Amino acid sequence: MPLEAFAESRALTLGVELELQIVDAHDYDLSHGARDLLRLAARRRLPGEVKPEMTDSMIELSTGVCSDYAGILAHLRESRDVLVECATKLNIGLSGGGTHPFQDWSQRRIFDTPRFHMLSELYGYLSKQFTVFGQHVHVGCPGPDAALVLLHGLSRFIPHFVALSASSPFVQGTDTGFHSARLNSVFAFPLSGRAPFALTWDEFTRFFDKMTRTGVVQSMKDFYWDIRPKPEFGTIEVRVLDTPLTIEKAAALAAYIQCVARWLSFEQPFRPAEDDYLVYTFNRFQACRFGFDGTFVDPQTGEHHTIRDDITQTLAAIEHHAIELGAEDACRRVRDDIGALGNDATWIRDTFEREQLLPEVVRQQCLRWSR
Amino acid sequence: MTGDNRSDLFFLPSWPPTPDVLLWVSLTIVLAGLLGEFVFRSLKLPRVVGYAAVGTAISAFGAGIGSAALAPGLRLIVDLGLSLLLFELGARINLRWLRANPWLLANSLVESVLSFAAVHLTLVWLGTESRVAAAVASILVATSPAVVMRVASEFNASGQVTERMIVLTGLNTFYAVLASKFVVGWLHAEFVGSWFRTIAHPLYLLAGSAVVAALLAWCVSLIARRLDLRNENSALLLLGMILLALSLTKMANLSTLLVPLLAGTMLRNSTERPWVWPRHFGTAGGALVLLLFVITGSVWSMDALMTGAALGMAAILSRLAAKILATAALGRPSGISMRQALALGVALMPISGAALVMMADLQAIYPAFAAQMTGIVFSAVAVLELLGPIAVQAALRYVNEDKLR
Repeated sequence: MPLEAFAESRALTLGVELELQIVDAHDYDLSHGARDLLRLAARRRLPGEVKPEMTDSMIELSTGVCSDYAGILAHLRESRDVLVECATKLNIGLSGGGTHPFQDWSQRRIFDTPRFHMLSELYGYLSKQFTVFGQHVHVGCPGPDAALVLLHGLSRFIPHFVALSASSPFVQGTDTGFHSARLNSVFAFPLSGRAPFALTWDEFTRFFDKMTRTGVVQSMKDFYWDIRPKPEFGTIEVRVLDTPLTIEKAAALAAYIQCVARWLSFEQPFRPAEDDYLVYTFNRFQACRFGFDGTFVDPQTGEHHTIRDDITQTLAAIEHHAIELGAEDACRRVRDDIGALGNDATWIRDTFEREQLLPEVVRQQCLRWSR
Repeated sequence: MTGDNRSDLFFLPSWPPTPDVLLWVSLTIVLAGLLGEFVFRSLKLPRVVGYAAVGTAISAFGAGIGSAALAPGLRLIVDLGLSLLLFELGARINLRWLRANPWLLANSLVESVLSFAAVHLTLVWLGTESRVAAAVASILVATSPAVVMRVASEFNASGQVTERMIVLTGLNTFYAVLASKFVVGWLHAEFVGSWFRTIAHPLYLLAGSAVVAALLAWCVSLIARRLDLRNENSALLLLGMILLALSLTKMANLSTLLVPLLAGTMLRNSTERPWVWPRHFGTAGGALVLLLFVITGSVWSMDALMTGAALGMAAILSRLAAKILATAALGRPSGISMRQALALGVALMPISGAALVMMADLQAIYPAFAAQMTGIVFSAVAVLELLGPIAVQAALRYVNEDKLR
């Protein structure tokens, strides 16, 4: 299948997809309520979409195309309220979080569609272990070349997005020590990681054709990159975020990405280069493992500081753009998080410390998601 | 000097050796364990079918309970096994769910009233005396909590049908306990003339059982605050608490069904914190549950079948139709598909230990009247003891809610 043409979209528009956990209200383990929830939600009107995901303990909700933080928040709130109402009727819980803290992956069931069964055949236990929950943020781009430039520009900030959204410290009942253990599951896939360094759509098409000729991929869907172009929508899609525990944080993260994107497009503070990727995996690992305390190596200067400091500097740089985009509230949230509040992974650890019972932690996650 | 006039080989056992109760009990456990595993592995059926089959075989050799009252020793085992399962079941009844989804409560009420009416009408139509029919119908409102809990946990089932089956079973068991006491008391009042007794008995049961249940729930929550219930020792402690409450219940002449059921429900609804403990509270509880199924499997006798089999079958079928009708009618408004609603109706079919206990309670207070019911009730129990678990399993499989295959 040839690479489809890059659709038109208004620059810097936003769209958010959130993968959610469906849990049993009895023991707070993952439960397979996707089909029931989708059936009830289908009777209601939603601003975006609700779709099944790989396993039937997961659903994905998406917003429509929005221009700013307020729009995203309104869409998410409306969908969230409807879904929570349906879930209450079924006595199941909905929760954010990049991983379910104690689910047993061998118990997961693949949602019954041909594509999901095909993927399950191909990846074996990885597909069930891939029961992880992410937030994807789409940013609209005026054209394909601009999309690729923005993609490689945003790569520098991947550690910010990881540390801010991290909400998956526990896997299979144990504290992994990571802030985002979810990404470790993603890295196991052969086509994960960074996109190839191509700054024009022609160059990118050549890469894509070469890859399809090898038979390794058929479509853009087969790439699990941290940021990938989505020609169908005319957007680039940031995929490294864990699903946060609240819709407010999900909206704030989308707005932060939008502000950084506006700053990069308007002021061009950096010239993207292949050498930026020398420190890429190091920085990303630091963010996954240590959150805001992780080390950030500046790809241009080679200077070391914490991810927290780098976010602080970035917040200062994008201040003007935040005002233009109506994202001051969102940036204030980000500032609070890197300050005293901490990310959701820290909240999950603190809650576990207090309660000593992972099902109770999940219950409180459900509460945070519902209000 | 008087010598020991016993033989030189006095230490040898007498021949033939005399078996004691221990031998029979242990043989039963071994046999039931083996047969349970056999039906699970080769026939892919729930293990409890194997346990019950051992009981059925015992009865076939004439060693069953027949229509006599349950012997105190056996009654104790039944009470113990059932109270564990009822407590587990109660702990899964989330009253907030009923408030959030009133259609589910409607489903429960309609399902119970329809079952009662269907069984009563069928039996009367087939020539049973109306009073007997009403008493039987009130007992048969209840779905077997033992079978439902056991099959659900054996297949690690979860989903809408599983959850609703558990909640509806808890509720209809609750109605049945009160209704059977009320109906029989009322019938009695027609003869003896004490209306006070008719009302007072179910009221005493409800209020008294609620008090003991609250006490148990409170103690368990105290323990749970300090200890991890998933740990084996705390699970044993929990088991001990339930048994202690059971002995209090018996001393106070309260319902051994209501106390654990209410205690579990109170615990679940007293706090939103999830409760997690090992299934049946570990191995000790597991052995009790096994014996429970063997005993309930052994209630039938040729005599009982002769008098009650046809009526029992008719009651089972009309009851099944009523339950399916109710769940099918209220499925969509309560949020499940037609397929799930049908499965739910079938899953509510089992009758077992709880019916036996309600029968035994009636036998104790109104022996002459109860004797007219045993044929029908015991036949129904005998049949559904084997078919009930299979029906639940089939229903859960039909909607893909059994995780172990």
